[in-house]
Amino acid sequence: MNTPVTGPGAPPGEEALALGTGPIPAGPYYRPEYFELEREAIFRRTWLNIGHVCELPEAGSFIVRQLDFASASILITRGKDGVVRAFHNVCTHRGTQLVAEQEGLKSTFTCPYHAWTFSNDGQLRAAPDFERFYVDKAQCSLPAVAVDVCAGLIFVNLDPSPKQGLREFLGPFVEQWETLPVGDATTFSEYIYEIDANWKLTYDNFQENYHLRFIHPRSGGGGAVGPDNPFGYPMDYKFYGEHRTQTIWTNPAPKLSPAQMVAFGKLVPALMQRGLMNHPYGRAYWAVFPNLFMIGTPTQPFVHYVMPISATRSRGVIRIYWVGDDMNASERYGREFSMAMARDVHSEDRVVIEAGQRGLNSGALQHIHLQQQEVLLRHLMYHVDAKIQAYKAEQAGGAA
Amino acid sequence: MSTQSSLLPAGFDALAPFVEYWAADTAAGRARCRDLSDEASRVAFYNAANELVPKALACLDKRPLDQLDESEQRLMRLVLSFAHVAMAVELQREEEPRHARYRPYMRITRAPADL
Repeated sequence: MNTPVTGPGAPPGEEALALGTGPIPAGPYYRPEYFELEREAIFRRTWLNIGHVCELPEAGSFIVRQLDFASASILITRGKDGVVRAFHNVCTHRGTQLVAEQEGLKSTFTCPYHAWTFSNDGQLRAAPDFERFYVDKAQCSLPAVAVDVCAGLIFVNLDPSPKQGLREFLGPFVEQWETLPVGDATTFSEYIYEIDANWKLTYDNFQENYHLRFIHPRSGGGGAVGPDNPFGYPMDYKFYGEHRTQTIWTNPAPKLSPAQMVAFGKLVPALMQRGLMNHPYGRAYWAVFPNLFMIGTPTQPFVHYVMPISATRSRGVIRIYWVGDDMNASERYGREFSMAMARDVHSEDRVVIEAGQRGLNSGALQHIHLQQQEVLLRHLMYHVDAKIQAYKAEQAGGAA
Repeated sequence: MSTQSSLLPAGFDALAPFVEYWAADTAAGRARCRDLSDEASRVAFYNAANELVPKALACLDKRPLDQLDESEQRLMRLVLSFAHVAMAVELQREEEPRHARYRPYMRITRAPADL
């Protein structure tokens, strides 16, 4: 059962307190050996969002995504049967990377090395002088990667036999997400950043509001904090296994700049016309283990994930998903403004996160102290470490 | 100035001096214009455009986006650039140069207006 904390800044509930109150170790935020365990215990065996079905609008559409933590390139296709499939982007002859483009429209893919040609369902269709090989074509299909879709969001799992399906993994979020506009999104605004910081340290910044008034006093201060909630703390936190949510506080009197008022005065009517302005999850924040969060805010409905590159380097992808092409100039303006505003905020975050990493890298701190309103950080670290301990036990059992 | 004035629909001549620098084709280009600009040019553009943006949008809303002529497309791009520069002038103000050093790390890779 969830025990929600009621009201911004209220004391933690039972589930939050059960996570403990002591400091957490600093090592997992910079030590390469800990990251190696995370790579195996978490990232190579967990569902990860890497795209949206609007990027695969028709049969033959494909996208390619790099997963640096696994040195993997993933090819995601939509077949003529409409099915979305994922494969390692690697020719099964001698391992050459098959597709160089990042996206496009193709029903077959031909390896640049010896012209092995694969259909977009992964089967080897043709290979020159194949009679001289000692293998059947049926054994040369592209290595499949587990893939599934929820609310339009494409997830992959590098585990050849995932322990859970995507829907089981997402649990109660599935029903909520499937009512959201993101499922009908046809386009998006996107910005990407690379950061010299651990993936958890990066992601954690977006799990707490304690920093808002100090880091975003101008870019985000007008709406995110207010006299009755000077830190902009959320209304509640809830925990769902390794996932978690918060309900974003609504400022009753946000201070908007003149241009913000014009921009949102253009965007909101467009959203209303599309029937997207009012839904039950307009103040929802969902954090999906390990590295994804999504905001339900109709005017800035964004998904943000943080992919690790190394123990102290990561890449963040922020996408604001929109339903329908820009219907007119006003909607186009509102969408561009919404992105520009979010980008200012996230740019400020990036700078201070890197400063945090520079401080941790020396090993000067043994521990990190977390306050009540940083409980989502504690929850993430708790589940990261639980996965690692389980992985270690599994490895020890396998070796025995 | 007559050449510049013909760049934009009637009624928006005051924005003509800003077309060359600010009317970038893409969202990333518009963000770059802001990031590389100095305060004087930001404020000049903001002051000229602030009251005209609602009028420009009302004008542009009269036609589907794919039927805007070249002068209207320029006006659209200027208005979109205003979205970026307004963040600097209204909110970041004297802090803008500090933030502008780091904002290019947030690489805009796609926007509906670019498609």
